[in-house]
Amino acid sequence: MSNKSDGNDYLFEIAVFLATSARNCIDEPPLYGPFRLLDALSKIADLPKYAPCLKDDPFLQEIKAFADEKKFLVMYGAEEFKKALDEIVEMFAKELKKRYLEKQKETG
Amino acid sequence: MFEAIKGRRSVRKYKTEPVDREIVKKLLDAARWAPSGGNIQPWLFIVIDDPKVLDVIRKISPGYFGEAPLAILVCSNKERAYKVGGALGRDYLTVADCAMAVQNMLLAAYALGLGTCVVKSFSHTAIKEVLAIPEGIEPELLVIVGHPNQTSRPPPRIPMNEIVHLNKYGEKFPGLEG
Repeated sequence: MSNKSDGNDYLFEIAVFLATSARNCIDEPPLYGPFRLLDALSKIADLPKYAPCLKDDPFLQEIKAFADEKKFLVMYGAEEFKKALDEIVEMFAKELKKRYLEKQKETG
Repeated sequence: MFEAIKGRRSVRKYKTEPVDREIVKKLLDAARWAPSGGNIQPWLFIVIDDPKVLDVIRKISPGYFGEAPLAILVCSNKERAYKVGGALGRDYLTVADCAMAVQNMLLAAYALGLGTCVVKSFSHTAIKEVLAIPEGIEPELLVIVGHPNQTSRPPPRIPMNEIVHLNKYGEKFPGLEG
């Protein structure tokens, strides 16, 4: 059904999502801000599927799967949702270390 | 009826199988039999089953999840509501009436084996432009409809004894769950 034929279409779709989310977040429940950002993260992780110039990133795919599994916790209460966001940030922190610090140690 | 009320969930993953238009007519008929203040019946329904239009609607609706083959935009006719119900009709009853129509639609869909999700997180400005909705007609709620591909656990409910009062505010209704 979706008509994402190439990277530009997909980029445009993400841009529309961000613009409409930005406007709606003014009136929506405060937790919907982080919810939309998490959903945007999930969408951005798919960009390599539509833009062949980008390499698929297994870590981002892992994050996307986790985000998609956890994002609707926002409907079940702030605490569970917040815990999932903390877990995602922790995953990123570990990956940052792996990519930029441990790698530098090896090469430096 | 009670099974439908408690069993209905907001569905966010759908099969691509289309929804038959005869079924769509049943949902719309259920909706229009909802009560309305002063019998204004302020609702009108835009059925969207063209995949191209649906895809655009999905793009401008951050709350639209899954690739359901059908969406029904429930709008209110503010001019008609004002003529019959004054400012109360236009500003308040239209919203309440459309919500009651939507609930009828959700329960009817559940009874017919369909999944639904009510979305308010769409761009009001963009949806009016895309669907050529004139002044005086206001989009209220978008109902996503399709054959469910996944159901979720029920979200928690506030305990009855926290929301029910007997005869006056603050008086407990005996025997309600904690």
